[in-house]
Amino acid sequence: MKLGQVLHGYEITSRPSNKDAGQCMWAFAEKDGHEYFVKEFLDPKRPGSMASPEDRERLLAQCAEFERRHTSVMNRLDPKDTGAGNLVMAKDFFFEKTRYYKITERLHPADVPNPHELSVKEKRILLLTLMASLRFLHEHEIVHGDLKPDNILLHRPTETGFYTAKLIDFDDAYVSGDPKPRDQIGGDPVHGAPEWLRYMQNDHSVGPDQLTTAVDVFALALIVHRYLTGEQPSFPDGFASAGEAVKAGAKLMFDRRLHPDLTDALCRATAADPCHRPAVSELRAMVDEPMLELRVRAEAPTVHVPSVAPAARSSRLRINLTGAAPPPPPPRPVTGPRLRINLNGKETS
Amino acid sequence: MNESLKYAVDIVMCIDATMSMKRTLDRVKDSALSFHTRLAAAMEEKGRSISQLRLKVIGFRDFGDRADDAIEQTDFLTFPDGAVEFERFVRDLTARGGGDIPESGLEALALAVQAPWEQGLDRRRHVIVLFTDAPAHPLGSPSQVSVRTYPQSVPHSMEELFSQWGHAQSSDALMENSAKRLLLFAPEDQPWEDIADQWNHTLFFPSEAGEGLEEWEMDEIINTIANSL
Repeated sequence: MKLGQVLHGYEITSRPSNKDAGQCMWAFAEKDGHEYFVKEFLDPKRPGSMASPEDRERLLAQCAEFERRHTSVMNRLDPKDTGAGNLVMAKDFFFEKTRYYKITERLHPADVPNPHELSVKEKRILLLTLMASLRFLHEHEIVHGDLKPDNILLHRPTETGFYTAKLIDFDDAYVSGDPKPRDQIGGDPVHGAPEWLRYMQNDHSVGPDQLTTAVDVFALALIVHRYLTGEQPSFPDGFASAGEAVKAGAKLMFDRRLHPDLTDALCRATAADPCHRPAVSELRAMVDEPMLELRVRAEAPTVHVPSVAPAARSSRLRINLTGAAPPPPPPRPVTGPRLRINLNGKETS
Repeated sequence: MNESLKYAVDIVMCIDATMSMKRTLDRVKDSALSFHTRLAAAMEEKGRSISQLRLKVIGFRDFGDRADDAIEQTDFLTFPDGAVEFERFVRDLTARGGGDIPESGLEALALAVQAPWEQGLDRRRHVIVLFTDAPAHPLGSPSQVSVRTYPQSVPHSMEELFSQWGHAQSSDALMENSAKRLLLFAPEDQPWEDIADQWNHTLFFPSEAGEGLEEWEMDEIINTIANSL
């Protein structure tokens, strides 16, 4: 596509670019007075004059599979459903000559400070809207597949004044347990879950059936941590990402200013075994204002051993490997007595 | 601690070094020379790092005009060790010759496709970046293939070259489908428009007629590689 070109009635109004896009070119467009976002896919392309008869047959089969994947995701989601309000789904999907295009509504993201600089009330709305979208996807057995801050646009409806999260880019989405092949699966290494990394690295102990909605939960936990503290959970040197650290058996270190119950939930959400991760709805239930409040003392992150299951919270164990003094007691939750072990013996509570 | 994803990035720069490129060749060369440091910075910004970076340069002119230096090329040079040789080669590229308007860009592209791309590590990105301000002679043109220095490995038809580029279902492609990218900085002319239409994983950045490559932006190349890993 190029500036000024008209595709199925959509007039391209910006110079196409590959900026911040992996498998597509993108541009803005207008049709009937409305603004749109247009993606042109780099792969597949429909056969042209250079294709042999054999190529033609194979390319058409690939195109059919591409269309099937798109429709299998989109047919499960009803944009009119109340839970879909913050999902930016395709409004049109077509090919013209050799190329495929996907059209979505154009959003004008809010000029927003870093999410962690928002007020607690604002963070809560932001996280609730994000988790509602993700819960909706997961209820329909859809894995977003590329959950990361770049794919979460902060929108500020004038009527509310609060920032809401608009979830975009479903190009890497798949039906839970049915991802693309190992060499084609999309996703982001920074937010990738350990089983996604194993799958991508041709570790055949991980099959496609193990790539489920829990992949998104892992990424969501990293994003929640970033939105609240400004950083991802930290991990030992030598690993390129949280997923790689967890895959190797290392512990993530969570910001100690976070409420212990939230830390516990994030810890379980980043468990190495996807079966041990909670559902989005469980995380969403924790998003109330006291839980999101950062405690005052900024200290070294905590290596956190999660409770096995929510019901076992009364016997939670924390281990402080950093030598830093533990934080003051959090607001008393409804859980039972808590035990901390400080291996440096400086202070216990 | 050694379980991090290992990324291998191979890049072949096909640079039109004919006289008409004189005005823009210095800019292309300057950008090529700063390329690896800018790419490393962009990757770091995204929290990623490249485990192995190799660059190869193919300078091309026109076989029908300059048989002896219609193609000048390096091997794949591994960075940072190969930086000195890379810089020496790029700095020595001089705009000369060209003859008629079409050049031997397709031959350069074919040699790039046939390059010994990295096959190991966890994820690979194989990128061909082609800079030209001219259309190309058709493959199999008698004025080209009859030249004594013409590379024997170059296909004699676009269909054959398309087959070597391949697609996800190819049986005889030379390029790894999920790894490859082709970035064309070229005029809206043949064969570049057809390639942009029909080859997958191809990004076409048309240059304005008569304006050479003033429009192209190295940022697009950096972005394409950094975002695609």
